[in-house]
Amino acid sequence: MYQKSTNRIRVAVLSLILPIIFCVLLFWPLLTLGLQSLAGTGGEITFAQYREILTSHQYFKSFVNTFLLSLFSTLIALAVGIPAAVYVEGKSGKDRKILAVLLTIPLSLPGIVIGFFIIITFGRTGIVPKSIELITGNRALAFAYTFYGMLLGYVYFQIPRVVLTLRGAVSNISQDVLDSAKMLGASTFQSYVYVIIPTLKSSIISAASLSMATGFGAFGTAATLSRGYRVIPLEIAAAFTENFQPKLAGAMSIILVLITIFMLFGITRMAELWEYRRSGKEGARVL
Amino acid sequence: MRVKTQQPKDGIRSIGKMYAWGLATVCLLPIVFVSSVATTPVWQHGPWAGGFTLDWIIQSWMVISPYAFFSIKLSLLVVMVDFIIGIPTSWVLARHRFPGRDVLLSLANVPIAVPGIAMGLALIITYPLLRKSGFLLVAGHFLYTLPFFIGSLTPQLGNPSVHDAEEVAATLGANFPKRVIHVIYPKVRTSLLAAVIMVVTLSLGEFNISFFLFNPQNKPLPVELYSAYITGRLEMAAAITLWFLCFVVPAAILLERLGGSKVGQA
Repeated sequence: MYQKSTNRIRVAVLSLILPIIFCVLLFWPLLTLGLQSLAGTGGEITFAQYREILTSHQYFKSFVNTFLLSLFSTLIALAVGIPAAVYVEGKSGKDRKILAVLLTIPLSLPGIVIGFFIIITFGRTGIVPKSIELITGNRALAFAYTFYGMLLGYVYFQIPRVVLTLRGAVSNISQDVLDSAKMLGASTFQSYVYVIIPTLKSSIISAASLSMATGFGAFGTAATLSRGYRVIPLEIAAAFTENFQPKLAGAMSIILVLITIFMLFGITRMAELWEYRRSGKEGARVL
Repeated sequence: MRVKTQQPKDGIRSIGKMYAWGLATVCLLPIVFVSSVATTPVWQHGPWAGGFTLDWIIQSWMVISPYAFFSIKLSLLVVMVDFIIGIPTSWVLARHRFPGRDVLLSLANVPIAVPGIAMGLALIITYPLLRKSGFLLVAGHFLYTLPFFIGSLTPQLGNPSVHDAEEVAATLGANFPKRVIHVIYPKVRTSLLAAVIMVVTLSLGEFNISFFLFNPQNKPLPVELYSAYITGRLEMAAAITLWFLCFVVPAAILLERLGGSKVGQA
């Protein structure tokens, strides 16, 4: 048996390592970024950078663009990811193991490589436009560098994230309830609406918030594919490296961090609270 | 009339199967495309128009090998730092109940919520003088990978069977180092391996943080990949990508087999 006080000291020392390191490498730098974005030329506190971002037409549009890309890619990934996750984590099917592996491979691909995948498939000399040209004589579907190309790239990196998050909850779907629903004459669509989606609700919310946060922070895919369709991470990079406005870049980063933190923690918390109020009992704990 | 004992056609299963295979195909087809472009002499003329060639693949290795070695070196350094910081933290999270444990657990996950580009910018603005040393790259990759390292390791370290086996060894007189080598390590070996593979894969593919932190002497592979995508020929870019996939895809498969797949940033 350990002596109680030495044990307490050991726990204190071990549990302080990470907070100290994070203060030096993460919290202090983020604080510096925030303070610098608030500093005026004479050292006074000013919200000029934030005012510029919030009133500028360009930056407002970039925020809207980022939001739309994240939202649409999340919705598409959920629509295709839910049935796939239900199958992969289901009870029958010999191909489930291999599918689980195949659907997690994209998880380790960086955003720039995903962007290149879109270029090689739908770029000016991509496989699809090239094949269409060989067959019909006209090049078509070369949309890699448009909104739709970026959307496809975003969907690509959301899919494995959504599938992986949902897979954990699929075992909660009761086969008995599904069988009863079918006995009562429910169609596949009705089984989804009344059984599967309600059961998966809390993990769908987690998947959606993770996917929205990933979409807002995504830089690599946008950097390879964007030709004029601006998103916030690109504006941050441009403000710092091209226009050398570190304060503006800092202010945008702070806003971005607040948004992604809200997406990851706020949405699930809000859903929990809503559930709690509605049902009057402890809501399902998520995250 | 419905026959109760016979399984009727399962729409949910068949639709799920179709979606899952459809997604897997869509996700992996680009890898086939990359391979075909990388082995075609002149892509403009069509796939394998002038025959099959390995020239692009050999040439691209000459171009990227210094960056690939730098990236591998960087990822091993990051693994080391993750060991030094992550193991004590995982240990204390798994084995002790203390006030503030929940706070520490949430704290360990904070880097997941911070976009890489913001993290990189914050580091470069706060410590501009450290850019040259490459220290900032290690710091950024460390922040990015640590939550996944701790997330892979902590559950197994806290597993009651590991704890029980260790207790038995302790009552039989094994001291702490002996218990670590003969009891704990064999039990957590798989999760430790998963954690290391995860950190190496994430670090090898990291671009968002590195974008602000690299300098021409210390250029990670993804940064070089990016410039190939922006400026290079399609065949060359495809060949470099193929090399990159050779590093990353086997690791991803191994990781899924070990049950350790986690979600990183895009």
